[in-house]
Amino acid sequence: MTNRSWLHAGAVIVLLLVVMALFAPALAPCDPLAQNLDQDLRASSRAHWLGTDKLGRDILSRTIYGARISLLVGLSTVALSLLIGAAAGSVAGYFGGWVDQLLMRAIDILMAFPGILLAIAFTAVLGPGLDHVVLALCLIGWTGYARLVRGEILSLRERDFIQAARSLGCPPQRIVLRHLLPNILAPLIIQATFGLAAAIVAEGSLSFLGLGVEPPTPSWGSMLNDGRQFLLVAPHLTTYPGLALMLTVLALNLLGDALQDRLDSRTA
Amino acid sequence: MKRYFLLRLLLLLPTLFGALTLVFFLIHWIPGDPVEVMLGESAGAADKEELRRNLGLDRPLAEQYGDFLAGCAAGDLGRSLSEGAPVRAIIAARLPATIELAVCAMIAALLISFPLALFAAARRGGWIDRAALLFSLLGLSLPNFWLGPLLMIVFAIQLGWTPVSGRGGWDHLILPALTLGLGMAAILVRILRASLLRAMTEDYVQTARAKGLPERRVWLKHTLRNALTSAVTILSLQFGGLLAGSIITETIFSWPGVGRLTVQAIQARDYPLVQGCVLAIALSYILVNFATDLVYKLVDPRVSYDE
Amino acid sequence: MSSRRIVYFFPAGVLFLLVLAACRPSPRAAPADYLVAGIESYPLNLDPRYATDANAVRIGNLIYNSLLRADAHARLQPELAASWRSVDPATYEFELRRGVRFSDGRPLTGADVKFTYESMLEANSRSPRRAQLKPLQAIDLLDDYRLRFRLAAPHAPFVEQFTQGIVPAGSAAAADSVPEAPPGSGPFQLQSAESGEKVTLRRNPAYWDKPPALPGVVFKVVPDALVRVLEFKKGDIDFMQNDLEPDVIPWLRAHTAADVETFDGTTFQYIGINLTHPILRNVKVRQALACAIDRESLVRHLLKNLGSVAGGVLSPLNWAYEAGVRRWPYDPARAKRLLDEAGFADPDGDGPLPRFKLSFKTTNVDLRRRIAEAIKEQLQQVGIELEIRSYEWGTFFSDIKKGNFHLYSLAWVGVLDPDILFQIFHSSSAPPNGDNRGRYANPQLDRLLERGRATVDPAERKRIYAEAQRLLADDLPYVPLWWWKNVVVKKPSIKNFLPYPDGDWISLKDVAVQP
Repeated sequence: MTNRSWLHAGAVIVLLLVVMALFAPALAPCDPLAQNLDQDLRASSRAHWLGTDKLGRDILSRTIYGARISLLVGLSTVALSLLIGAAAGSVAGYFGGWVDQLLMRAIDILMAFPGILLAIAFTAVLGPGLDHVVLALCLIGWTGYARLVRGEILSLRERDFIQAARSLGCPPQRIVLRHLLPNILAPLIIQATFGLAAAIVAEGSLSFLGLGVEPPTPSWGSMLNDGRQFLLVAPHLTTYPGLALMLTVLALNLLGDALQDRLDSRTA
Repeated sequence: MKRYFLLRLLLLLPTLFGALTLVFFLIHWIPGDPVEVMLGESAGAADKEELRRNLGLDRPLAEQYGDFLAGCAAGDLGRSLSEGAPVRAIIAARLPATIELAVCAMIAALLISFPLALFAAARRGGWIDRAALLFSLLGLSLPNFWLGPLLMIVFAIQLGWTPVSGRGGWDHLILPALTLGLGMAAILVRILRASLLRAMTEDYVQTARAKGLPERRVWLKHTLRNALTSAVTILSLQFGGLLAGSIITETIFSWPGVGRLTVQAIQARDYPLVQGCVLAIALSYILVNFATDLVYKLVDPRVSYDE
Repeated sequence: MSSRRIVYFFPAGVLFLLVLAACRPSPRAAPADYLVAGIESYPLNLDPRYATDANAVRIGNLIYNSLLRADAHARLQPELAASWRSVDPATYEFELRRGVRFSDGRPLTGADVKFTYESMLEANSRSPRRAQLKPLQAIDLLDDYRLRFRLAAPHAPFVEQFTQGIVPAGSAAAADSVPEAPPGSGPFQLQSAESGEKVTLRRNPAYWDKPPALPGVVFKVVPDALVRVLEFKKGDIDFMQNDLEPDVIPWLRAHTAADVETFDGTTFQYIGINLTHPILRNVKVRQALACAIDRESLVRHLLKNLGSVAGGVLSPLNWAYEAGVRRWPYDPARAKRLLDEAGFADPDGDGPLPRFKLSFKTTNVDLRRRIAEAIKEQLQQVGIELEIRSYEWGTFFSDIKKGNFHLYSLAWVGVLDPDILFQIFHSSSAPPNGDNRGRYANPQLDRLLERGRATVDPAERKRIYAEAQRLLADDLPYVPLWWWKNVVVKKPSIKNFLPYPDGDWISLKDVAVQP
């Protein structure tokens, strides 16, 4: 398989997942929230292809709907982290000096700080819920993008075309937005692709600590956590959301790798 | 160069100071009262007020903050509100366990990723390359609270090769180090592979080949060294993530480390203990970063110093 | 070239040093003939005066003795007391047993008992029991082995305080620099405690009663329930009590040679209601809630019968239990009628629109959340929409105390004296003075509870509390859910373990291992 096929494979799987997320109501055979306590922990049957969980809910439907939440969390986290990180990084990288030092110290502090404490603090104060999960993940995640953007801008800053723009009297924001950022787009997108996968997995870890989405919302992370105690009794509770998670991460990373090989001129 | 390192050493202090300030205000901001956690439900309001006064929790926040910083500078981290013992003693008892786990996880990651990356780069495009890629993705996507019990069931119960959980001899380290290190191994495999591939095309390697040096010597002398430095950099960058990931692994594997202690301290709103834990974690991270910086700069003099 | 060497040796050196520093001299495995019990969390402070968490209290019961002790039927029996009596309703006299020694050889006398209680009453004491000792006015030491406790006024529930573990006179207070657990006079003594890992007890050679058959017990901390089961399967743990997922019990019976026993307990699971809420202050709404929740189904499916449907706070094991209270069997039709009567009609009949919405707060323990989800579904059937909000413990508890909730679910553990009803339901017991988190105020009940604690005659108290329980079952400030059963999982070689209703481990002193 060539690089092209990796790219295609990754893209196709991601597309399928997006379709699954968008058209979940049409694709899911049952209501993901419909309980049936008499039918708990059944293995696959004609009525429930992937079996039922402890509350008798259909795992196939929950896995399909889970794509929605996982992708939603992942995309929002990445988008927000990217925005904050790119803004901070470009300001620091372009202006340099004490602004840069301040940002680097802030990033150092945040990276030395156990991120989980931030997550617990935020969800404790703000209360549970999807948006707070995203917020907590962003707080931990923006530093990577900031560093990337700062590094790139530092190296691009002294290039001829930027000097030219500056000498022509171009205001800083124009330089950053129109000249610098478009050149960084490639590594940013690649970083974002990997970041998306990481955010989806991180949601699972937050679920383990009891900080994920609220019940009874189905998300792969919370399904993995809920089914964890039943590993001996009913392993199918975790197998299917786990496979879905792995497939998504696989596809996103294939995509990211292939994009890196094609777009990032430095490692081609 | 010495000046650079001295400067970097000094810069550690504001980072540490920032982390401590952040944790102090963060933990005081979270709702929940340590006095209530300590005295339980049936204590009267007067008793709680008294205890609060005793512990100095009723003073203005700024004053408590000042005392906290002064204590840190003097090495006194206060006493745990839930356990009663001095915080320094508790952390000193628990920190070695976390460091042991983190270091072994890194070693496990290296042991797994190096050979895989070597084979993958040597036979680029072959089936090992694909397998290495897939393995790396597996490591990234399996949450460790799921992987841990799976490994336990297979290796400890069905095969009976290792104990299930807890800290003890070296056999107790295998499963938790694997669980914690697998995610890092996944990242390392790709970075190492890329670094090895890049190094293979470098001029000096071509020169060595042209000189007629045997292929293996070419590899060992030139490419591996580069790969090692990349690995060291990545490991230090990921160390922070390791410390964070250790929280879950420590809970699953009943590992008596600082990560699990931090979560418990947060739940108990044990302010001094949380502050002490964060200090320990932040300090470890900062020191490891500093050490790697040192190595990196020493080895690769081409990198500029005014970062 | 030298810089290249540094590349190899420096990181290796740093790693080596770190590993060396981190490695312990040798793994301290417990002696092979000690019993290994798996527990969920590390006991924080073993001193019986300051212990707050359940594990610390239970382990403390093996190390320390008390004047009286609750037996397996929740009746108070003398332990350190050779005899005791109530001189008048506000005075108790004790005659201590002779020949009792602490594990360091010192004899246990009245001075130690006096010291224990007084140190807890001290102004800057951090004892969680201090509030409960408030009725105590003075302790008189009549001679070395006789004591008199004088209360300010008759307070029947105070006898529960005589189950306090006794420490030697002069033991360090919590505020002092070395808060190690003081020696005790119980069947076991503390051998070692490794922070976060395990607590090891060994047989106390100076124990005054029949020496335990076990040479020692190791309490191994295994936080995750699944891992605890795996440890048991592997044989590294011999004994577990409670804190298990109900569904894993059948697996244990099928896949291991374990002795699994379930027995009735006193832990009471309930739904707490905010009585100041405009909708919930209506008694018909509360009664509708009770009818709409299928408790039988929840116990059967989610708890796998590890509980029994409850009628009130006091379980049948309690001496003051009243069986003749109103029950609320599952009846969704009746629930709907009650809601209609209360003025909350369903806007679209059986359609998706709810009559009203309420929030349901819970901790983020898996089983509790699952129960919340099931209750949400059941209430949806009668037109009530529940929003589940799960929090970590500190935030949850803080919210509950502030009254910042509509509905929540919690459990009362260690219910012994029926006076707990005063703590929970008396109008003066709103936090921070007590646990009346729903701010319930019923003057009739108030009077009953006040009489209950002032009366000393057990028969009269039983009558008073019977009436109180009937009132509570009609008015429903709590919706009772179930009484949890205790479950013990142990290797078949472990004999003579007697279960206690509050999950205590005290009978480990009688346990013998017969291979």
